[in-house]
Amino acid sequence: MHLALPKRKSSDASLYKPRTSRFPTIRRSRVQAGILSFCAIGFFFFIISRVFGGGDGIPSGTPPVVIVTVINTKAGYSKEYIADIKENRAEYARKRGYATFFPTDTDYDLNESPSSWARVPAMRHAMTKFPHSTFFWFLDQNALIMNPFLAVEDDIMNPKLLEDMMIKDQSVVPPDSVIKTFSHIKGNTVDLVLTQDKEGLAQTSFILRRGDWARFFLDTWFDPLYRSYNFQKADTHALEHIVQWHPTILSKLTLIPQRTINAYYMSSPAVDGGHYQAGDFLISFKGCEALLSSEKSCEVWAGPYSKQWRTIFNAR
Amino acid sequence: MSRSPSPLPGGGVWASPGLNSPNGSGNGRSSPQKIYRINTNANANAVTWEGAKAKSEGLNGYPSFSTQNSGFFSRHYRRISNSLPSYQGGSDKSYAEKEKLGRGRWMPQDGGKMARLKKAIGQINRKTWYRIGVIAVIVLMYILFYVTPAHYWWRRAKHLGGGKKFVIILAANQGGGVMEWKGPREWAIERDSVRNKKKYANRWGYELEIVDMSTKKRYAHEWRESWEKVDTIRNCLRKYPDAEWFWWMDLNTFIMEPSFSLQSHIFNHLGQETYRDINSYNPLNITHPFSAPYLETEENSPVGDGKPSSINLVIPQDCSGFNLGSFFVRRSAWTDRLLDVWWDPVGYEQKHMEWVHKEQDALEFLYINQPWIRTHTAFIPQRKINSFPPGACSDNGNDTHIHYDQRDHDFVVNMAGCEWGRDCWGEMYNYRELSNFLNRNPWELFKEELVAKAWYEITGQKIKI
Repeated sequence: MHLALPKRKSSDASLYKPRTSRFPTIRRSRVQAGILSFCAIGFFFFIISRVFGGGDGIPSGTPPVVIVTVINTKAGYSKEYIADIKENRAEYARKRGYATFFPTDTDYDLNESPSSWARVPAMRHAMTKFPHSTFFWFLDQNALIMNPFLAVEDDIMNPKLLEDMMIKDQSVVPPDSVIKTFSHIKGNTVDLVLTQDKEGLAQTSFILRRGDWARFFLDTWFDPLYRSYNFQKADTHALEHIVQWHPTILSKLTLIPQRTINAYYMSSPAVDGGHYQAGDFLISFKGCEALLSSEKSCEVWAGPYSKQWRTIFNAR
Repeated sequence: MSRSPSPLPGGGVWASPGLNSPNGSGNGRSSPQKIYRINTNANANAVTWEGAKAKSEGLNGYPSFSTQNSGFFSRHYRRISNSLPSYQGGSDKSYAEKEKLGRGRWMPQDGGKMARLKKAIGQINRKTWYRIGVIAVIVLMYILFYVTPAHYWWRRAKHLGGGKKFVIILAANQGGGVMEWKGPREWAIERDSVRNKKKYANRWGYELEIVDMSTKKRYAHEWRESWEKVDTIRNCLRKYPDAEWFWWMDLNTFIMEPSFSLQSHIFNHLGQETYRDINSYNPLNITHPFSAPYLETEENSPVGDGKPSSINLVIPQDCSGFNLGSFFVRRSAWTDRLLDVWWDPVGYEQKHMEWVHKEQDALEFLYINQPWIRTHTAFIPQRKINSFPPGACSDNGNDTHIHYDQRDHDFVVNMAGCEWGRDCWGEMYNYRELSNFLNRNPWELFKEELVAKAWYEITGQKIKI
């Protein structure tokens, strides 16, 4: 492009700016070194936190499993019997580093519904009291742990073992419920482990993993409309109801063979092969409450075993 | 190209042929051809010398502080000479021909208008070019973005506008089907309502799902009609796997301000737009929070964990409790669970006579009784997404928390309960017109506010343009 007149050059000699200080404060090399060392320190801390950070901020010494047993204060159990039950749990917990929690059935406002409902708020209470524990094991009062060498988190809730044990495609309420347990559940997504006895779902012993699902499950189970509905077997039938009607509950639940966590006393209504044999994890005296008024049947049934568990516990 | 004004020995660069300019050094005339220059070499040299001499005389005649370009003419020389018509050397003609035509005259350019235009463009300086370029780019971008569908795709895209994350579920045909015939008014309502949502969804790149809610006896085991909200939302969760928020809207709603995006209106600052503590507006007198000792701190806290990220359900409350005419639900495991337990046969059996508002009452019941619901539910002031017309909730007169006010540009109006003794179509029509009126474009504003008013002032007649 042609311009009419060329540009004129400035005839002023350019001046050098005076130095602001005698020495430059930061040299470029220093800036580079600073940035590099900053990155290095950041990376170091990142690695440290990855290696030593225990994950979810769980304080050390947190019991991995909490055993929850609701103590019945209304029926006429003797003090010795209750003490023995408590000692059995406490002794097992001490051996394995677990915690125990013994609320009573009058601790919760059940609004006139049967006292067996107390197990539901009791589980929530345990989750509140032990906010970092992973597994919450509800064990009915009328049961005794017989094998202290089994650990809940390793021998039952271990995903690999659980996948081998779980009973797939099984009618939830035998014999003829059309709702069956899912067949594609992974061991690490299971949040509730249950067993079946002869009459249906048995919730004398179940293990729940803490989490949002556990809260949802317990709140749904505890819904006032179920408590006021007069299910024949109160909370048991309510549980069977929600499991069958709500797939979000069924999909997180797995059934395992009865004897693994819920072996029955010989007079209790177990499934085939569900009766207690020596070496089983525990023995449950289901059905003894029904006979409670005539004789102290629970104590009678439990009598021989309460001596036995002490010898087993002290054996090794 | 060298533009040096100083004469060079040999005169090769000193190329001006007819140098009789008083200002001597350099001019803007286009350089003649080489042939020409060679032929007039002697002449050019002589001129060069004179010019240089004159210049140096000028310099010598005055002391150094005197500048050369003091006069008006010398200062503006360049600009003036730039604007002059240029001398046509006749570059494609031989020297001999040029001689005949009379060189040094002001000639009209060949090629006429086109060439002149070309010349004019050639004379635009660089700065102007930059300015023109910037304006052109802006115009181009505007066309690209707003005239083509680019803005639609931009607004939909996940990481840009995020419109795909929102699904509007519009319930059409509610209670229709076997129960009653649809008249022309009902058709008109449906047409207007659907068009309104379609326009809105298109504008912001949202998904729109129109569901047919006509009554069918679809459930063999229980008579579950018009509890289909739950199933519909669940189907939508499956149908739009990319979406995060689902906005349920009844048919009798109208989006009054389509220029509000859901993101800017609510979701960019969800924590501030919603409230977790129901005590701040509690028409149902729900005891909140729970104070059971067996619950966790979050569940006994009035605001849950207080983080917007834990909000999975956003519902407005009207004068009598929750209102599910317009509400949001977020995709989450929590939502799946809620949709699963929302309808339950045991609850239905005991309460279906009592729960006249069906899902709404069931949800209130769940909220009252189950702590896990409360920690993920938030409420939104009703007028944010669900303003009522004066006819609804009218027992206590006009309430600024409930009723639509055009001065505040409420987002959505819900003509709740218009099918019981009010004129649905009338209300819908009025709100549609009002929405158009409130959202006039500049041209309409000019016509109606300026021209029509001026006309009225002058002639006393009202006109419609």
